[in-house]
Amino acid sequence: MWKFLLPIAALLAVLAGAVVSDGPGPKADVVFLNRGDVNTLDVQRMSWMQDFRVAIAIYEGLVRTDVFSREFAKVPGVAERWEVSEDGRTWTFHLRSNAKWSNGAPLTAQDFVYSWRRAMLPDLVGDYAKLFTLIDGGKAFYDWRTEAIKAFTAQGQGRPRPAEAEALWKATLAKFDELVALKATDERTLVMRTVRRLPYWLDILAFEAFFPVYGPEVDRWQSVDPVTGKLEFESGWTKPPNLVSNGKFKVTQWRFKRDMRLERNTHYWNQADIHVDSILLPSVGDPNAAVLSFQTGTVDWLSDVVPDYRSDLLRAKREYQAEHKALYDSLVAQGLDPVAIDRRMPRDPRQNIHSFPAFGTYFYNINCSPRLNDGRVNPFADPRVRRAFAMAVDRRNIAENVRRSGERPATELIPPGSMPGYTSPKGVGFDPEGAAKLLAEAGFAGGQGLPVIEVLFNRDGGHDVIAQAIKRDWEQYLGVSVRLDMKEIKVFRNDLQNHNFMVARAGWFGDYGDPTTFLEINRTGDGNNDRRYSSERFDGLLDRADAESDPAKRMEILAEAERVLVAEDLPLIPIFHYSLVMMFDPHRISGVSPHPRQKQNVSLLDVLGDGKGADRAKEMPPRAVGAASGAEGTGGKGAVQ
Amino acid sequence: MTLSTLIVRRVLQAPLILLVIYTLTLFLAWQIPGSPLDNPEGRRPPPEVQRAMEAQYKLDSFWGFYTSYLDNATGVKWVRETLTGEAAERAKEAEAAGRPAPIRHVFDLGPSLQYEDWRVNEILAASLPVSVVLGASAILIALLVGTVAGVVGAVRPGSVADVGTLVVALVGVSLPSFVIGTALLLIGPVMLGIGSIAKWGQVQDIFLPAVTLSLPFAAYIARLLRMGLIDVLGQDFIRTARAKGVSGSGVLLRHAMKNAFLPVLSYLGPATALAMTGSFVVERVFTVPGMGQHFVNGVLNKDLFLIIGVVMVFATLLIAFNLAVDVLYRWVDPRIE
Repeated sequence: MWKFLLPIAALLAVLAGAVVSDGPGPKADVVFLNRGDVNTLDVQRMSWMQDFRVAIAIYEGLVRTDVFSREFAKVPGVAERWEVSEDGRTWTFHLRSNAKWSNGAPLTAQDFVYSWRRAMLPDLVGDYAKLFTLIDGGKAFYDWRTEAIKAFTAQGQGRPRPAEAEALWKATLAKFDELVALKATDERTLVMRTVRRLPYWLDILAFEAFFPVYGPEVDRWQSVDPVTGKLEFESGWTKPPNLVSNGKFKVTQWRFKRDMRLERNTHYWNQADIHVDSILLPSVGDPNAAVLSFQTGTVDWLSDVVPDYRSDLLRAKREYQAEHKALYDSLVAQGLDPVAIDRRMPRDPRQNIHSFPAFGTYFYNINCSPRLNDGRVNPFADPRVRRAFAMAVDRRNIAENVRRSGERPATELIPPGSMPGYTSPKGVGFDPEGAAKLLAEAGFAGGQGLPVIEVLFNRDGGHDVIAQAIKRDWEQYLGVSVRLDMKEIKVFRNDLQNHNFMVARAGWFGDYGDPTTFLEINRTGDGNNDRRYSSERFDGLLDRADAESDPAKRMEILAEAERVLVAEDLPLIPIFHYSLVMMFDPHRISGVSPHPRQKQNVSLLDVLGDGKGADRAKEMPPRAVGAASGAEGTGGKGAVQ
Repeated sequence: MTLSTLIVRRVLQAPLILLVIYTLTLFLAWQIPGSPLDNPEGRRPPPEVQRAMEAQYKLDSFWGFYTSYLDNATGVKWVRETLTGEAAERAKEAEAAGRPAPIRHVFDLGPSLQYEDWRVNEILAASLPVSVVLGASAILIALLVGTVAGVVGAVRPGSVADVGTLVVALVGVSLPSFVIGTALLLIGPVMLGIGSIAKWGQVQDIFLPAVTLSLPFAAYIARLLRMGLIDVLGQDFIRTARAKGVSGSGVLLRHAMKNAFLPVLSYLGPATALAMTGSFVVERVFTVPGMGQHFVNGVLNKDLFLIIGVVMVFATLLIAFNLAVDVLYRWVDPRIE
């Protein structure tokens, strides 16, 4: 019998060894549960909101966004001051002398040139390479490099040619200096020239893709491919202990799908602005477990509450506010931000849930091509049909009865009040009779003559219930028959890319504080124009806005462009503007911004009353009562699930 | 066949089996719709960039991918580049250009196409130990619970205890683990404050997921053992042992158990491999950073390198544990050929 015990003993030994070797790390000052696992800490390749949130804590760009200011002001970051030339195109940034990397090395203007050049390489396949073509010569350099690689690969015919490949790389560096208007004139001065006057250039510079990376370490992990001549990238430098960054925090541990630990960067130039010594970001995949881990106290800030019952939690909070109606109303009247209001009310666990308007819109794509992929004539090629379908959607019902988490019904693409100086035009609203009339005008009275309308959406994310509501609206008000087509995300994306759909769900989050961040995706031939919408008038308006030097006039032109989209042509039907639902105790945690642009700066986190940092709640300045909300700055891209 | 020939033969067979599994896995994974390079956020690179990336990862040709993966993963490429001096030449050129020599991997399972900053080797190195600990704990619990339940049932068939364990076993097999897991999570950490949520590494973190994962195995072991014991206890040599005055427990432990446990032993091989490569559901409910999630996520994202990586680890474990069980078998009962 003892022989049977041997395997058991072996198993026990394995376990004991594992548990002993895997001791718990020191407790962190604050635990932040991000919306998902970080995909990459390479800022030039990032495109997920959760990655941006970490990037902003561990890196710092030339300028920063004050996410607690009403106007999303730009404040000095690595650059302590800057000048712009008369024509608005040449920018000179003066870097502060005490800016350092987390290993103590000085941060120089050359570091920015290195990082941005990297972003301009077609080899890197950065999602935001296009933003860098706003620098004069950036486009020419990108195109030159693309051609050079093509030629090199063709010449070599699959043979490795290490010496020639290295020579090509050298030539590339020289070409960059020749073509691109980005220069480090000395250690602390960075000069750049943009392709045209860009009123939102500072906004773009505050964007994560423009943060610097530490060249000496990054170089260790890239090599020139001797066959294609391309630069190949490995990500070893994004993991501790290799990762060197320049923000308030540095990454001291990153365990795959387990946790990430940030600690105070003692080389950061402004130690007084760091309010905790360590931040732990655990990895929790299950949305239910995420809420439970907040409720049991494991997590201090849960940035994205996903489960359906979040609407019940939000309702409980409204009930709590109703119980203290007089106090609540008086605080609202003072123009305070919603978290500031929470802090001035009696402490209650029901306060811990928060719904903030986000810088993104949920909409339906309509295929505008004359024919569908299967060769049938596409009835949606007629803008009147698209407008009729848009008029038959009851968005209020979807926002209030289907989503129920603070979303705002949308008739426009750009979330209202998210950008100063810009007034969104009124789009077509809910008008069932008008819709039926318009459809009849287009030759499809009562839906006669229309094929079965196919609505494409992906599984998960609650898209099915929205699609059901829309199907009911269209069948009821337009007399058409609608088929819901739910697919796995991969198939869904494939169909979108191949324009193999009639109507498909979609969403978009803005990247920076200018209307073009939402409008450009509708330009003819844009990589994200899934709708195949092509309008000379719309494209012409965007071109005119590019050429316009008066900021106010420019905004008017852009508003007209948006009006063409949402009031006339309707290549997309705006449904609602997203909201983000979070959990944190407002009496204990400070630093989470309720700003409608929903950009979070994790490095502002502060545990109130822990004796570290400012220990004073960060709040938005009270709004002048009755004034419209205004905002400016850079938004991150969010997961569109 | 002697023990050593058995081991040598199995070890020689293993690469062949793995090659077949690799071929089948890649063939099936290749059929998944969509491109592995899709950005799940919805933004896409320009088409020419997409094509260049596909060429870089050899995603544009099945056989190109097939051979280059084998080349990298088996270490053949590393050996070739070292012997031909190609690696040295590249290093020399890079240094001449003032850059460090390129980093080389020996057994390179490729990059994860989804988790951009991680290579499959790193992902496996991070998640396999976690799954091994969870799997080993689950198998231990299953053995303990299953053996006790099986013996109780066999000693008094039809008794309340037997029916009780039968019911529990039935529940263990038929209730899906997301139900049991969620229930345990609510009862343990949330209501009673026992165990932890979304943590890993300590005994209290491992206990609940291990129990959840162990239930189906425990139930199966209990039924196997009960059947085996009832069968053995009815045989002549047991009657002889009793007649010779061996005590009840002595008969059970020394004579009956030894024979009845053999089917359990042969079940333990695949069961351990299965438990140790993780369970998607248990990992998700309890937030365990193990390997099981990668089977599902890999397929959903069409992350070819990751899919093949986890499947090959599972296959290797399966082969290893089956061999271990066969060796144990012979050692426990030398009559078995």
